[in-house]
Amino acid sequence: MDKHYCICIGRKFGSGGRNIASMVAKELGIKVYDRNLLKTASENTGFSEQFFEEADEEKTRKGLRSLFMNRFNSSNGFANNYLSNESIFNMQSEAIRKIHEQEDCIFIGRSADYVLRKSDRLLNVFIAADMSARVSRICRHADGMDPKKALSLIEETDRKRSSYYNYFTGRTWGDPAFYDICLNSTTLGYEKCAEIIVSLAKERLKI
Amino acid sequence: MAELKTPQELGTDRIGKLLIRYAVPAMIAMLASSLYNIVDRAFIGHGVGSMALSGLAVTFPLMNLSAALGSMVGVGSGTMISLKLGQKDHESAQMLLGNSVTLNILIGVIFGALSLVFINPILTLFGATDVTIGYAREYMVIILAGNAFTHLYLGINCILRAAGHPNKAMIATIGTVLLNTFLDYLFIMVFHWGIKGAAIATVISQVLAFTWQCFQLSDKSELIHLQRGTYRLRGDLVKNILTIGLSPCLMNAAACFVVLLINRGLLKYGSDVAIGAYSIINSIGFMIVMMVMGFNQAMQPIAGYNYGARQYSRVLRVLYLTMFFGTCVTTLGFVIAEFMPDFCIRIFTNDPELTAIARNGMKINFIVFPLIGSQMVIGNFFQSIGMPGKSIIMSLSRQVLLLIPFLIILPHYYGINGIWYSLPASDILSVILGFSLLIPQTRKLKKM
Repeated sequence: MDKHYCICIGRKFGSGGRNIASMVAKELGIKVYDRNLLKTASENTGFSEQFFEEADEEKTRKGLRSLFMNRFNSSNGFANNYLSNESIFNMQSEAIRKIHEQEDCIFIGRSADYVLRKSDRLLNVFIAADMSARVSRICRHADGMDPKKALSLIEETDRKRSSYYNYFTGRTWGDPAFYDICLNSTTLGYEKCAEIIVSLAKERLKI
Repeated sequence: MAELKTPQELGTDRIGKLLIRYAVPAMIAMLASSLYNIVDRAFIGHGVGSMALSGLAVTFPLMNLSAALGSMVGVGSGTMISLKLGQKDHESAQMLLGNSVTLNILIGVIFGALSLVFINPILTLFGATDVTIGYAREYMVIILAGNAFTHLYLGINCILRAAGHPNKAMIATIGTVLLNTFLDYLFIMVFHWGIKGAAIATVISQVLAFTWQCFQLSDKSELIHLQRGTYRLRGDLVKNILTIGLSPCLMNAAACFVVLLINRGLLKYGSDVAIGAYSIINSIGFMIVMMVMGFNQAMQPIAGYNYGARQYSRVLRVLYLTMFFGTCVTTLGFVIAEFMPDFCIRIFTNDPELTAIARNGMKINFIVFPLIGSQMVIGNFFQSIGMPGKSIIMSLSRQVLLLIPFLIILPHYYGINGIWYSLPASDILSVILGFSLLIPQTRKLKKM
């Protein structure tokens, strides 16, 4: 059995996945990793943290298009293109595995569920919410954003997340078959979601 | 990419040493594949005749199109397989290998069959005339019959490289060239089979190379090997393979289109012989270009790694050094073409008419070659620092976007020389474009 356990949380944009993750983390006394795992990736590879952040923004900014463009001849067999999406994904994966070896933690997104699929102390969670709840949440967080804009932002971000996930993992983002549990944060509420995850984790991961 | 390593030496070793070490294997493979063209054309030029050489030349766009489709599957599945191997997801890598074999057979057979059915109109479109179409058809019918093997051989070579066996891929490439040379000699010079002999030699050497590859990939102890149950196509895998492979495929297809335009222009303002002359010039130019590509491939990891590590002075140093080497290579090409064109042409033919046309074309075509080296390096540099958009603009501009207008306009004023002038004219413009994209970038890097 693996020394450390890990909860991987996938989430639709605006469904409060991050809030729920931090509630769970507080309850269990562990750390949440999302963007901050880039720091570990940078320490691993000798690449600058700023570089990973830029690549990360690139990915979310241009989404599909940047994926397509970057795919151009990313490995030619003689030489690695270290800046290809595939290579960056591998570096992030390496960081995820390293963190998993060192501590109990929660990963938000970043295909961590696929990267750690061989671990035997893994809980995969997916969090969704009603569209109207997601829109009002986005509007509340980004001051002055009108609902129409929020809706298109949500659709765009979901599309990017699923194309990224599906491409790199060969799984289907948000398909219940790939998760231990899928929760709706609108009908259950954040606290209840966190509670369910904590109790399931305690039982399944033998904490 | 099969193993995830970012060798620290890329950030510390001497740039010159690194560049040479990475360049040598890449250059050998590049030279081998360009020799293939030269050998085929040389045997046909000397053994069959200058009209056969022109016949062979009109088949080239079709051959390239087929290779483009083959590389689509090869690049796509190679990229996906190395990604999966990096994640130790051997099962998916295995599935990808099986799927790519099926895809190659499917595309190879369909492309081959369709081209065979429409062989006459296709060859006429590509510039064949009553004099040359016989040779072109004789050659192409055999090549197309073996088309699936061509795709399989090229595709599996990409996969071998991606799966961490670049040496095996290189053995296959070099083996095919050597075998093809030997068989060309046997079939054309000894058996006098004519242009058909060259086609049979090509097909046989590719079938044998493919058999050897299969043998390599049937070793069950290997990370990935051919396995029953992996050949049934899976929609998601096929979609990934094709979308990754699409952009290199489109680039190749665009290049075919340009060769088509050149061939037709040469025919309209010149003759069949001019098409043969262009194929000679093209072979020589291709070899020089491939050598620069070898340096480019070596630059890629060095520039990329140091860019990621924010060692921008090293990024610039490897850029400048590669530009220097690239320029040396293209200048060498320039010197050979300008001062001893007959030496090059004699490899392919002794025909005085063909020699005269090729000499004239060669001297014009190579006139700005010393500048091309840096243009090619700049294009690749953008790709290695994660700016594929600019890189695509660079490679399309020289060979397609800037060339096509010249090819349409210049012949109106200068006749056949207009076609020859188009090549250096678009070269110059693309060099200017290259530097105007590069200079702001290097300024930025210096400041950082």
